[in-house]
Amino acid sequence: MAIKDPELQHLQDSSAFADEVSEGRLVTEQMLLNVGPQHPATHGVFRLLATIDGERIVRAEPVVGYMHRGYEKLVEQRDYRQITNLISRMDWLSGINNELPLALALEKLMEIEVPPRAQYLRVALAEMNRILNHLMFFQSFAAELGAITPTFYAFREREDIQYAMESVTGGRMHFGFFRPGGLKEDVPKGFIAMALASIRKVIERLPDYEDLLTGNEIFKQRTINIGLLEKEVAYAYGVSGPIGRGSDIDMDVRRDEPYLVYDEFDFDVCTAPHGDCFDRFWVLLHEIIESAKIVEQALEALPPGPILGKVPRVVEAPKGEVYIRTENPLGELGFYLVSDGGKRPYRIKIRTPSFSNVSALPHVLRDTLVADMIAILGSFFFVLGDVDR
Amino acid sequence: MVRDRLTAEDALERVTGALGERVVEARLNHGQVDLVVEADHLVEVVTILRDDIALRCRFFTFLSAIDRSTYNFDDGGGAGEDKKEKKVGTIEVLVHLYSPEKVFHVNIHVLLDFEKPVCPSITGVFVGAEWHEREAAEMFGIGFPGHPNLVKLYLSEDFEGHPLLKSFKLPARSFVKDWPGAKDPDEAAAGGR
Repeated sequence: MAIKDPELQHLQDSSAFADEVSEGRLVTEQMLLNVGPQHPATHGVFRLLATIDGERIVRAEPVVGYMHRGYEKLVEQRDYRQITNLISRMDWLSGINNELPLALALEKLMEIEVPPRAQYLRVALAEMNRILNHLMFFQSFAAELGAITPTFYAFREREDIQYAMESVTGGRMHFGFFRPGGLKEDVPKGFIAMALASIRKVIERLPDYEDLLTGNEIFKQRTINIGLLEKEVAYAYGVSGPIGRGSDIDMDVRRDEPYLVYDEFDFDVCTAPHGDCFDRFWVLLHEIIESAKIVEQALEALPPGPILGKVPRVVEAPKGEVYIRTENPLGELGFYLVSDGGKRPYRIKIRTPSFSNVSALPHVLRDTLVADMIAILGSFFFVLGDVDR
Repeated sequence: MVRDRLTAEDALERVTGALGERVVEARLNHGQVDLVVEADHLVEVVTILRDDIALRCRFFTFLSAIDRSTYNFDDGGGAGEDKKEKKVGTIEVLVHLYSPEKVFHVNIHVLLDFEKPVCPSITGVFVGAEWHEREAAEMFGIGFPGHPNLVKLYLSEDFEGHPLLKSFKLPARSFVKDWPGAKDPDEAAAGGR
């Protein structure tokens, strides 16, 4: 420690000073830094209480609940078909993926068979939504690090995919398109060509993204070896999705326990070994290619046929309970559905990926620099609506 | 990572073998292992599930609770004979673990005393349970002795009641008048509006 004040200069050399330091009597004062609840880097209303010692974060405590809407209580009061529209608002960047586990859980309990066409379309729409979500986080992470250009790149690609999905569902964020047993409607004429064109554009332009960010020295300096999340810790927190795979957790529900028709497609699960901000981002970026591959395969092999299975007019799940999980863009989304035989669920425990991922933040932020905080927050790719439910 | 997939039956056998006496009841439910354990054994059970080399349930999926006080146990059906006996449900803590290597799920049900629900904290085994237990505590009023910081997670400090208990009514839904039209398609077909 260098002392600038000339009057105190003698302390620098005196042995008395060394004692004070070693005995811990001479300490810097800790300061409480409040981030949020409104901060552009937090994707919603998220508050972080950081205790800092100089430049170093000693303790970070996320404060959540500003967006708590009590979905687990609300779903108990609504019948199954109403719930679809409610839960698509949890993670507002991937609405159609949110609707999936409920549909799957009901199909399992009610033993409904879903026609192949509906399954293929579900896969295609879910993966298109995943690309939308990943492009959004691709640009937001870059924007948080001070690079605005990726925003325009990502939104240019997003718009085409968004338009294709809008032509099917009529919505841009909250689609409300998956029904127990299948889909609400069939896709319109020309959708397949439109969707394939938009997906191929993404594949074509992805090398530009790589050049723009992952090859960028400033970007690397700010992300490599920053915000380390060790594999075992990630397991204990239940961290999944791109963040988990960035910590070398080789886990993907689509491959490990294939639902829908994922087992018919050829795709890779991206992992990266270091668990830093760069690896998390790298996984996110490369998952776009894998998703695009799946969409291509699904749409090219789309079978003809009906899009809704045999569903009774009143959706009543028989008694029982089931845990269904799907690979949401941000991680494992699970529904533990308890039914006592009524039109409404008795209880649904919603396990959202962002909740578990964000709960690991205190561990990751400990002993990092204040200047890295935003990079770490940005690399955790969370949506507050998904944390708070 | 090498995935050495277990069938559901093998998983059940291995889990019950490793846990022995600590399990009150074990069965398969939709391909996942369903266990009922006593609260006193919970910490021990999750430790074994995590550390046993043949199980490796290292992924902490979630911890939550279910209030079964208004659960309709009647007209039995396929749900199982055992459930018929305990006519009035109680409150239970539900822990879900997953084994990434062996690819199987374990649901651990811990039945608690409804009047005074207390369940030992498993934050010592899975540090990630911290937020999940805080949520279960505020939503169901369950105590988790051993938790480092059992304050409210979502709700404000002065919030009264435990919203996810069945006794907690949503006023907007219980006091408003009935929906004027037919409530479901069957009713409509029978001559409703």
